[in-house]
Amino acid sequence: MPLLQVDAVTAGYGDTEILRAVSLRVEADEVVSIIGPNGAGKSTLMKTIFGLLHPRQGSIAFDGHDITHEAPHRIVRLGMCYVPQVANVFTTLTVEENLEMGAFPMGKVDLSDNKERVYAMFPKLRQRRRQLAGKMSGGERQMVAMGSALMMNPRLLLLDEPTAALSPKLVDEIFERIARINESGVGILMVEQNARQSLGMAHRGYVLANGENRHEGTGRDLLDDPNVGRLYLGG
Amino acid sequence: MIDSAQPAADKNMLTGAADAGGAEAVDARDSGGARSSRFVGGVLLLVLAGMWVAGWLAGTSAEDMLSLTAWGVMLGGIIALGGIGLTLCYGVLKFPNFAHGEFLTLGAYVTYGMVLVLPQSNPIWRFSFGWELVVGLLLAAAVTAIVAIVIDRLLYRPLRRHQSPLVLLAMASLGMEFLLRGVVYLIWGSDFHFYYSGRSNPALYLPFGLRIQADQFFVFALALILVALLYWMLTRTRIGKAMRATADNPDLAQVRGINTEQVIAWTWSIGAGLAAIGGVMYGLASQMRPDMGFVLLLPLFAAVIMGGIGSAWGALVGSIIIGVAMQLTSAFLNPAYGPAVAFVLMVLVLLMRPQGLFAQR
Repeated sequence: MPLLQVDAVTAGYGDTEILRAVSLRVEADEVVSIIGPNGAGKSTLMKTIFGLLHPRQGSIAFDGHDITHEAPHRIVRLGMCYVPQVANVFTTLTVEENLEMGAFPMGKVDLSDNKERVYAMFPKLRQRRRQLAGKMSGGERQMVAMGSALMMNPRLLLLDEPTAALSPKLVDEIFERIARINESGVGILMVEQNARQSLGMAHRGYVLANGENRHEGTGRDLLDDPNVGRLYLGG
Repeated sequence: MIDSAQPAADKNMLTGAADAGGAEAVDARDSGGARSSRFVGGVLLLVLAGMWVAGWLAGTSAEDMLSLTAWGVMLGGIIALGGIGLTLCYGVLKFPNFAHGEFLTLGAYVTYGMVLVLPQSNPIWRFSFGWELVVGLLLAAAVTAIVAIVIDRLLYRPLRRHQSPLVLLAMASLGMEFLLRGVVYLIWGSDFHFYYSGRSNPALYLPFGLRIQADQFFVFALALILVALLYWMLTRTRIGKAMRATADNPDLAQVRGINTEQVIAWTWSIGAGLAAIGGVMYGLASQMRPDMGFVLLLPLFAAVIMGGIGSAWGALVGSIIIGVAMQLTSAFLNPAYGPAVAFVLMVLVLLMRPQGLFAQR
């Protein structure tokens, strides 16, 4: 059984239907990348999986639990965490407080092990732990956001455009961190603008267009597919 | 890669001096043409000094002006207890709660009811009140907190669920203000009340001709202790940090698995409990009237907006400035102009620094 199974999900806002019968799956320890043009519904799909938006049709299952109509704070407890594309850190809280809030559902427990694990993954955050997250650069904020999401020891991490608006050098850094997070046993489902790079590191990928599944395959297959290349990877 | 990419830049950012420089740069960028907090604080001190001189020229002795200043600080403590709840509610729920003044009224009257029922002890030290008032005050804070949570469940939560515009929430709170005041009239009538009518509360004679009642010391000390406790809670406890996180970014708070409804309940109970204690302090310092909360609501808003809405320290500092200004001007103006003085000061601050003295953004 896959870790995450999205089955023929239809969802949208108000009268607008954004996703039409979208299906995908993520196996445990897998990196899965979703690419597609702007307005394809990639972010909406992430929000629907995480329970910020509820599907009109179809079902979503995570680790054997039906989460189709579950609220985010319950989904977090099941072991899935989400890093939104924008506004993904508490700007008026310090880095350390941001991490603590990432583990809020764990209750009053000693978080020093969890913090150590995140600091080991992102050493820069240890040096900056008393700094306000709002005073950090875009790349550092992304690390705070990903670190906060890792505090719960999730088994699946949803990343919405983790490299948006970052310099090429920082993009490489973030992709390298994502690979390391995956090596530590966390499944990754990400939406990416940097389609080539993300497919290059993904085990499998999906091409979403117009709110529908268009292509599916291993990262290599999608990169080599002339149709995908011409339409979605810029030639 | 991340640890070795920019070692030089790293070292610069690590020093405290570089950090402070960064903070100022951000401050300047965010505030546009606004003046710094320090500049605005200086102007406010000058204005207060001007009020001192005006009072002195109007024939009030320097000793009396000093006493007025001390009473102003105490009044500021009372305003702060109400204002902190107002600013917390605004931060977390994003709407101005016009019914907040009624939490002060309710706290004062519930305590009054308790004092009538509980066995009377002798006055403590030089205070005018006995232990029954202290017990009544704690019970009244709890009762008011419960009332606030019940109101939220019945009125504000359904509006939140329907994602009503904030104007609607603000108007609903205005309606709740009138409703609560009506309830107070209904139960306790429209007469003035005193906790201990006829009991004298002589002023202590202190150096420099300062005359302050023991009760006034109690009021200010309690306000300070409660504000310090709140600060500790907001910066050190899990629920306090969750309150700040929810105020900062409610959507992300949900994504992080924070139960925002639970945070909202905490916010109401802390805000209403502090306001209730503020109401008792006001009743102790002057008298209880059914419209006391409504009369205090204007200086409350002025103090919170002046301090920077959403900031607990801002509410405290703004409250003390406004309390002192209201007392000092009473030396040469009819005290009925008090709320007007509060608002003139607020407008003065906003003209120089639109985000308020201690705004976070």
